[in-house]
Amino acid sequence: MAEFSADVFQNEFLADGGTDVHAVVTISCEGSGTAGSGGTDAAEIIIVDTSGSMTGANLAAAKNAAAVAIDQIVDGTWFAIIGGSHVATRVFPYPNARFNLVQMEPGARAEAKRAITRVGASGGTAMSTWLALADQLFAGTPQATQRHAILLTDGKNESEPRAQLAGVLGRIVGHFQCDARGVGAAWVVDELRSISSSLLGTVGLIADPADLARDFEELMRQSMGRGVAEAQLRVWTPQGAQLLFVRQVAPTVEDLTSRGAVVGPLIRSFPTGSWGDESRDYHVAVRVASRPVGSEQLAARVQLVVGDQPVAVGLVKARWSDDASLTARISPEVAHYTGQAELASVIQEGLAAKAAGDEATATVKLGRAVQLAHDTGNDEATSRLRKVVDIESEEHGTVRLKRNTAKLDEMALDTASTKTTRVRK
Amino acid sequence: MSAPTGDSATAAVSAEAATSAEASAEAVAAQEAVSAESSAPAAPAVVLPSVVCPACGTSARGDSRFCEACGARLVPDPPASSDPASSDPASSDPASSDPASSIPAAPGRPGPGQARPPCTECGGAVAADGYCEQCGAKAPAPRDHLVDTPAAWVGGVCDRGRVHVRNEDSQALAASLEPGRFAVLVVCDGVSSVPRSDEASLAAAHAALAVLVAGGPTGSGPVVGDAVARGAAWSGLLDRAARAGDDAVADLTAPGAAVPHSAAARTSAAARTSAAPPTPEGTDGDTPSCTFVAAVLDDGVLHTGSVGDSRAYWLPDSGTPTMLTTDDSWAAEAIAGGMPRAEAETAPQAHAITRWLGVDSPDVAARATSRPVTGPGWLLVCSDGLWNYCSPPEDLAQLVRTTAATVGGDPVAVAAELVRWANAQGGRDNITAALARLDAAANR
Repeated sequence: MAEFSADVFQNEFLADGGTDVHAVVTISCEGSGTAGSGGTDAAEIIIVDTSGSMTGANLAAAKNAAAVAIDQIVDGTWFAIIGGSHVATRVFPYPNARFNLVQMEPGARAEAKRAITRVGASGGTAMSTWLALADQLFAGTPQATQRHAILLTDGKNESEPRAQLAGVLGRIVGHFQCDARGVGAAWVVDELRSISSSLLGTVGLIADPADLARDFEELMRQSMGRGVAEAQLRVWTPQGAQLLFVRQVAPTVEDLTSRGAVVGPLIRSFPTGSWGDESRDYHVAVRVASRPVGSEQLAARVQLVVGDQPVAVGLVKARWSDDASLTARISPEVAHYTGQAELASVIQEGLAAKAAGDEATATVKLGRAVQLAHDTGNDEATSRLRKVVDIESEEHGTVRLKRNTAKLDEMALDTASTKTTRVRK
Repeated sequence: MSAPTGDSATAAVSAEAATSAEASAEAVAAQEAVSAESSAPAAPAVVLPSVVCPACGTSARGDSRFCEACGARLVPDPPASSDPASSDPASSDPASSDPASSIPAAPGRPGPGQARPPCTECGGAVAADGYCEQCGAKAPAPRDHLVDTPAAWVGGVCDRGRVHVRNEDSQALAASLEPGRFAVLVVCDGVSSVPRSDEASLAAAHAALAVLVAGGPTGSGPVVGDAVARGAAWSGLLDRAARAGDDAVADLTAPGAAVPHSAAARTSAAARTSAAPPTPEGTDGDTPSCTFVAAVLDDGVLHTGSVGDSRAYWLPDSGTPTMLTTDDSWAAEAIAGGMPRAEAETAPQAHAITRWLGVDSPDVAARATSRPVTGPGWLLVCSDGLWNYCSPPEDLAQLVRTTAATVGGDPVAVAAELVRWANAQGGRDNITAALARLDAAANR
């Protein structure tokens, strides 16, 4: 049985007249079990790009990776493999089969691997059709409520207008989760990020096709380790208060604010997808009406809800004080994640400015990124930034843009921009 | 309310009440008293010590069986012994021999099925986490605001104030139903720099009250004799009351104190530690401690005793108001040494007290005084949460007079207004104001 816990990190003291309450709520899960063990069936779909550009090493690596991933799928899990080009094709179960998905067992595993070997590469790239087919297959297997897909591509979504992908994403949000991976340097980070972000997954860059199999294996193992099919983050705020934002800040930055569903007049609910044994941090900001010095009130109840049952609750409080030694302090967790969220956005904005030829903006933004990475101890971000800028001073964020940077280095920086480090305790 | 059943007690009270201008109000109070005190029909007056809830500290009338604030079962105060060797009220607590009442099943907190009172700010429902489900306001703990009124002419309000997180003040009051006959007002102010001082003040105040009530007309060892003999007896009782309070504070951290076996105050300590993570006890000398002040009105004379900086004042309707007690504080020592009062009392170290109740206290001998009452006026016993904002007796007399003129002569209403006033000044400390109204007709 999964056990959830919630810890709240905040400075609850507000100065006289203060209104804005910030807190980081860490939610941890233990004993989640394996996918499909919690009384619901699990389903996995592997989506492999089979467009013409994949021909050669990429396709061979992708086939190998898909086979490795299949080995990780636990028996009893419903699954399918989709090949994607400008159209989507079901590779397994075979197109003539009467099923949408089949349950994993040794025979199905062997047959699926054989089916993969026969896949060839041709045609263009229209990712919306891939996702639409996956959605249709999942929908045909309603008993499998924990749904996850891996999408692999090596190229740009060039065979359809951009709005097409956005439209399909809008339609299928909440139906299943999807991790997106790009191999090589010809794909577009923004496109895959829009998929993974909408579908509560991760985005990743695989520079070398040889690393693909290990990444797929890890992704599938993680997915199979998520024994809690679906959980919602439910946030109560008092009457008259304004929920400024709700942001996942670890392990990656994801702004959830606009995804809130109205549960009651004072309650919003945010999807968090499935949970394994892990912990995630959420930054919640609430604006409340100021109260007299000495008063205390609750600014938010933050609950994790599984199947309509609250399984963990964190209380975010506000206490007004005229003691400056109490009110001036900023919670280290809040400060850290505020910096990390800004780091993610300045990296993305800096790279976008650089791509558009606006070197002045790019220098300022990436300089700020270097400074934030230094301040928040995000050494991984610093080493990725070093490949794109020459750093004069980390502390002051003074940098010069590098000439002739490798496209892969910029993409690696962009892809990993939302990854955060935990607070050093 | 039940009809009067104890005829002789009613007669005794009514006969004396007839001398009061407030006879009709007394008749109502007398009816309430009869059911609890009918076993003492020959007593010259009825003294009703209130009981305190062992779980949340709320005071209730002496005949209450359950706490109105939190629903816990109430254990009656033990009758204080006249034997000086057993001034600890715990030793004679009848509850200690009754397993059913000495092991309260999870006293205190309302169970999940029990309704909580609605939010005091918006009227919304209060959730199990103690905050309003509508406006988020924190529901006040019963301990944060205590009201006690043992008789119509005596009442007190004890409040958390605005700044402190907990209410570490306590009051314990008792009074005869007949106005002006006999009253005991005890106030203790927990030292906020050490843990569990809220429990310390509660335990000390009620232990002291039990000792002093024993010297009253219906007590187990009534004080008798002429004025000189009475003065000496009360001086001794006040000293014993301070020591009983000191013992009760020490019992909080004594080995085995976590096992509730008798006194209400001790049961309170156990109930509170079971609801919260147990605190390491007696570590680094951080033992609970509190101040002590008691005022006894007996036979037309005010007897006071104090340890620390909580105070008693006599505020006559006409004549010179007086502070009856002397602070044990840095400020008092500075004033005694010649520093102007206003300057001494606003110095940073003004509130450092030089004596207190608690195991680390060097000296708990109460400074005792006596003073005859010659006319109508107010007896005020208070903590520094009130006098901080109004220390000179003349100013305090003016404040109480103005307040009484505004809200009427009910001591609880006046005390509540004084607390409200202190909160309006900033409420920087816990505030306790306990009052007895003495009218000319009742004075002897």
